[in-house]
Amino acid sequence: MATILNGVMTMLTDHWFWGAVTLACLTWYSTITIYVAIKGARDIQNMLRRFSDSQEQETHGLKS
Amino acid sequence: MVNGLTIVDGGIIGTYLLITMVIGIAIRKYVGRVEDFLVARRQMDVYLGIASLAATEFGIVTCMYTAQNGYDKGFAGAIPGLLTFVAMFLVGWTGFCVKPLRDSGVMTIPELFEKTYGPHVRWAAGVVIVLGGLLNMGVFLRVGGEFLIHTCGMDPGNLEIMMTTMLVGVAVYTILGGMLSVLVTDFLQFIVMSAGLIVITFLILDKIGWSGLVSTVEKYHGEGGFNPFKNPSIGWSYVIFNALLNTAAVLTWQTQIARVLAAKDSQTGRKVYTRTSFFFVARFLIPGIWGIAALATIGWVPLKTLSARQLTTIPPAIQQKIEASRLGKVFAGTEQEYAKLSADDQARTLSPAETAQIPKEVVARLKEASLHHMPLFLSMFVPAGLMGLLIAAMLAADMSTDSSYMLTWGAVIYNDIMAPFRRTKWSEKKGLRWNRTIVAIIGVFLLIYGLWYKLEGDLWTYLGITGTIYLSSMSVLLIACCYWKHANNWGAFAAIFFGATVPVSTLILQKLGPQAWKEWFTGNVPLCGIITYAIVALAMLVGSLLKPRSQPAVEGK
Repeated sequence: MATILNGVMTMLTDHWFWGAVTLACLTWYSTITIYVAIKGARDIQNMLRRFSDSQEQETHGLKS
Repeated sequence: MVNGLTIVDGGIIGTYLLITMVIGIAIRKYVGRVEDFLVARRQMDVYLGIASLAATEFGIVTCMYTAQNGYDKGFAGAIPGLLTFVAMFLVGWTGFCVKPLRDSGVMTIPELFEKTYGPHVRWAAGVVIVLGGLLNMGVFLRVGGEFLIHTCGMDPGNLEIMMTTMLVGVAVYTILGGMLSVLVTDFLQFIVMSAGLIVITFLILDKIGWSGLVSTVEKYHGEGGFNPFKNPSIGWSYVIFNALLNTAAVLTWQTQIARVLAAKDSQTGRKVYTRTSFFFVARFLIPGIWGIAALATIGWVPLKTLSARQLTTIPPAIQQKIEASRLGKVFAGTEQEYAKLSADDQARTLSPAETAQIPKEVVARLKEASLHHMPLFLSMFVPAGLMGLLIAAMLAADMSTDSSYMLTWGAVIYNDIMAPFRRTKWSEKKGLRWNRTIVAIIGVFLLIYGLWYKLEGDLWTYLGITGTIYLSSMSVLLIACCYWKHANNWGAFAAIFFGATVPVSTLILQKLGPQAWKEWFTGNVPLCGIITYAIVALAMLVGSLLKPRSQPAVEGK
């Protein structure tokens, strides 16, 4: 833990701008990947359900 | 262990490929209409849009060139990523152009142009978009294949077979499932790609350390490696040109705007833009760090980027000079330039006479040596076990890019270039058949142009020119179409004409003009790009105002 904190402090002091941007990228990317993985899976589920529903409606419409 | 890969690595890659193919093909049952195929019936929601946009805009070719920027320019090489972030965030936040575009209900940008400029401009814009996009995409397969060959240590003779197999796999699910398959497989590819990028970057920070990266940039690039305005290869004109270029790409690059058009509504499209925007910083900075890590670990070793066969074609004395060359400076352009160098630099740089002793193919390879240092570094740095994750991540990055590019440019061919042939309404079945055929033809084009046919000459300049032709004219047409009520087809044609002729004239002057002109145009490429955007905007303004108001509208306004 101390090593990680030391690393972060080095990034924020040694050329702080690029250090901060790199830290922001890694933090953002690590968290957003997990968040998008969960929420995106739900989006796919909902999207495919809407497709199925409309296909069923079209089939019923044709039959009637 | 085969070709540097263990059974575990092979298992990771195989599992990823199998799951992608099964899911991609299974989705085809939901596709029944052209609208499903091209824009997923506009049912895409925010998080799926983020995953899809991020996965599409990061391919192996992106990774290679952004890493090269880090290697050649240090941290300052990530400036285009910061500029894209600002542009995309502002466009998403304000809805500039993307709101009216999505609200109009069109499937492609040229379709919107028809409402303002008429059918001829729609057709011409379609041609410009497809030419620019496909010529750009033509190099993806070869560059991607070279990355995999270097990283895995495979026999270069396998490149064509390997990339053909990958493209056929991608083409199968794209042809069958269209945008729906692209969105769902992009989601999976985003997760695999992100995992690979994050793990390798943490590994670099752990082994080389932030201080190691910073000191390498200081040693090779000085202050210019951190500050773009103090870097001789960047400067103000590079920054302004990239701001224009990236804003134009955010507004009109077909694969990016396709996500806005496939979104449920304009609000969703805008959210996809604002929430994905920061990804574009990572898109430049993370591979840029890989490039800096390559510089820190293996330094400048241009001869190591050549194959054993290519190395034997270089005389030993010239090999020594190349080995001693400064970063990215193996060749002197002309005899005059060579004569101007100090004695020390002459001992480290090849004169045109010495360059003539090396086969052209090897010269071309050495000119882009910095491009191949990052995969070379990864092949030595990434341990077995993680190599499988890296390769799967890069395959994911490339497959998502290829599928989306094939589909979105196919959409413009069907929707806009073929529009004159669809005056009578086609059945959904016929439309789907044509769309699938177009995607298949694009796949064949990619194989021939990008992989099996070796293009001679200055390919990168050619691609830069076609990219500028596309982005300068299409962005000006879109902005004028959305916000200027006097915009008309005269202005649109003038913008397309100057958008094409200015970059081509610049290229001709670079190659054939008097010596002083050649040097100026070659040394001021970003400034020429800025001038192109200014002339195209002026052409739209003047052309539109010149059209007599009283003239009956034959087409468009």
